Amino acid sequence: MRLPWARTVFWLYAATLMLPLLWMFGMSIRPNEDILGSFSLIPQRVTLENYETFFTNDVWYSSYLNSILYTSMNAVMSLIVALPAAYAFSRFRFAGDKHLFFWLLTNRMAPPAVFLLPFFQIYQSVGLFDTHLGVAIAHMLFNVPLAVWILEGFMSGIPREIDETAAIDGYSLPRFFIRIFLPMIRSAIGVTAFFCFMFSWVELLIARTITSVDAKPIAATMTRTVSAAGVDWGLLAAAGVLTIIPGAIVIWFVRNYIAKGFSMGRV
Amino acid sequence: MTSQLAEDAGAETSPREEARGRQADLKPKNNRAWFLVLPVVVSVAFTAVIPLMTVVNFSVQDIFTPTDRIFVGLDWFRSISRDPEVRAAFLRTLLFSAQVLLVEIPLGVAIAVCMPRRGVSVSVALVVVALPLLIPWNVVGTIWQIFARGDIGLGGWTINNVLGIGFNYTLDSTDAWITVLLMDVWHWTPLVALLAYAGLRSIPDPYFQAAQIDAASAWATFRHIQLPRLRGVLTIAVLLRFMDSFMIYTEPFVVTGGGPGNATSFLSILLSKIAVGQFDLGPAGAFSLLYFLIVQIISYVFFTVLTRSGR
Amino acid sequence: MLEWMVWTPPTALVFAGLVLLLTGMAVWGRLSPPVARRGFLRIETDRGDRLYIGLISAAVVLAGWIALTDLSMWLALGCALLVALVIGIWG
Repeated sequence: MRLPWARTVFWLYAATLMLPLLWMFGMSIRPNEDILGSFSLIPQRVTLENYETFFTNDVWYSSYLNSILYTSMNAVMSLIVALPAAYAFSRFRFAGDKHLFFWLLTNRMAPPAVFLLPFFQIYQSVGLFDTHLGVAIAHMLFNVPLAVWILEGFMSGIPREIDETAAIDGYSLPRFFIRIFLPMIRSAIGVTAFFCFMFSWVELLIARTITSVDAKPIAATMTRTVSAAGVDWGLLAAAGVLTIIPGAIVIWFVRNYIAKGFSMGRV
Repeated sequence: MTSQLAEDAGAETSPREEARGRQADLKPKNNRAWFLVLPVVVSVAFTAVIPLMTVVNFSVQDIFTPTDRIFVGLDWFRSISRDPEVRAAFLRTLLFSAQVLLVEIPLGVAIAVCMPRRGVSVSVALVVVALPLLIPWNVVGTIWQIFARGDIGLGGWTINNVLGIGFNYTLDSTDAWITVLLMDVWHWTPLVALLAYAGLRSIPDPYFQAAQIDAASAWATFRHIQLPRLRGVLTIAVLLRFMDSFMIYTEPFVVTGGGPGNATSFLSILLSKIAVGQFDLGPAGAFSLLYFLIVQIISYVFFTVLTRSGR
Repeated sequence: MLEWMVWTPPTALVFAGLVLLLTGMAVWGRLSPPVARRGFLRIETDRGDRLYIGLISAAVVLAGWIALTDLSMWLALGCALLVALVIGIWG
C-alpha cells in the first residue's frame, strides 16, 4: 500500500524545508566581513558577536521585550474574553448566534491593512498610541475570533451530559465552568493561548503603525536595519534566529494541534 | 471491487461527526447566552466595528484635517476602482493566489501521503513540517531575503554560479515574483500537508485492509479511498490558503518591498502605501471597503462550506 | 472625542438605516421565528442569511457599476435594491 520510496521523498522534502533556515542560522554565527567577503558553505570563523550586539543594543533587545510583553497581554486578554463566548456558542442556540459566529470569522479573515488608518486615529485620540496595551488590544481584532473558533471546536467535542450532571449535582454555571469545565479543557486552552501568542507575534503591519518608540515590536526593528553602511546581515540573521525561538520552544507540545489551530478548530 | 467496499464503509459517518450532529440537535435555546458573548461583542465593536465605520466615513470625503473636509460622495470609489495601478495590483494578487493554490495543494497532499504514519518518526516529521508555520512572517521574509541573494544566499548563489542562470530578485521582476512564490510555497505548503495528514489519519484501517485484499495499486488506493475522504480538509485548505495569500503583506514587503517597479506590489502592499505612506484617507477608505467586500464574500463561502458540510 | 470619526450626514443615515434593519429583523424573529428553506441559491437559508446575501450582492452591483459604467448611480441603487429584494424573497 505504501510506496517504497515515500519515506525517502518525505525526508528529502524535510531537508529542503530546513535548508533556508539553517542557512540563516549559519549567517548569524559569521562575522560580517566573512559574509560579504567570500561565499562559503561552512562558516570559516564562528562567532557570537552578532548575538552580543543584539543583547547589548538597547533598540534590539528592548523591542524584543516589547513584543513578548504585548503578545502575552494579548493572549491573556483574548482568552478571558473568548472562553465564555466559546462556551455559549458550543452549548446554546440564541438569537443571531450563527451570524455573530460568522461576523467573528470575517474579522479573522480581514486584511489588517484595512484597519490601519482608523486604528492610528483612534489610538492617537484615546491615548493608547505607542503603548503595549494598545497593540495588545489592536491584535484582539483577529485573535478573539480565532480563540472563540478554536475553543468552540474543542468544547463541542465534550459531551453535554457533563454539564447536565453537574447542574443536577447543584453546581451553578460559573462554579461548574471554573471548577470542572476549565480543567477539562486545559490542553485546549494551552493550544489556543499558543496560537494567540503566535499570531500576535508574527503580525507586523498593525503593530508597526500604532507604535513609534516605547512599544516598538521586534519585527519593525528588523525591517529598519538598513543603515549608511548597508544591511547588517549577521545581526539581522541573529535577530531572525532569536525571534524563531519562542515558536521553536513550544512546537513539540503543540505538534498534534497545528492543523486544528490554523483551521480554527475545524479539523 | 475496491470502490465498492470503500463505499460500503463510507456509508456510516465517523463517530465524531455523529456526535457533533446530535449535539446540534440537542442544543437548548437560551437567549441569556448573549451575556456570555457580550465581552466578545464589546471587544470586536472596539477593534472592528468602530474602525470600519470610520473607514466608511473616510471614503466619502476629502479630508485635510478633522475639521476641514469636503463631502465628495462616491468620487473616491470611482477613481480607485478605475485606477490602473489598483486594477493591476488586484489582478496580480489574484494571479498570485491562483499560483499558490495550484502549487501548494497538490504538493501538500503528496507530502501528506508520504509522511510516516507510525513510530517516533511521526512526531519528528510533524515538528519539522510545522516549523516554517511558526516562524514570524517577517523572519520568513528575512530568511528568503538572505537565501535568494546571489552574493550571500545559498539559493541565489547556486542558481547564479552552479546553474549559470542570472538571478537577481532586486532587479529582475520575474525573479522577484519567483522568489516570493517560492517563499510562499516554502512557508505554507506545510499547512496543506498537515491538514491533509490529519484527514488521512482519520481514515479507518478497514478501508486499507479492503484495498489490500483487492490488491489495489497505490494509485487506485489514493484515488478511490484517500482522496474522497480528503474533500473536507482540502476545502478548508483551499479557502485558508486563498484568503491568506489574498491578503499577503509582510513577506513580500520584507523581501522586495513591492518592487522592482510594481512587480510584487500586491493589494495589501499598495493599500498600506496609500494609507500610511501617503496618508490619503479618502482613497485608502474607498480602497479598504472594496477590498473588504471581496473578503466578505470569500468568508461567507468559507463559512457556508464549513457549517453545512458536517450535516 | 469622536471628532476623528469624521461623521457626515449621509453615512450616519446609512448606519442608522442598518441599525434599524437589524433591530427590525430581531423583533421580527421574536414575533415569528425564522424558518430555513431552500430557494434558487440552492443552499439552506433563513431570512437573516438571505438579508446578508442580498446586502452583499447589492454592494457587488454598486461596486461593479461604479467601476465599469458612467451611468447614474441612482440607477445602480435601483438595480441593487432589486437584486437584494429578489434574493430576499426567492433566494
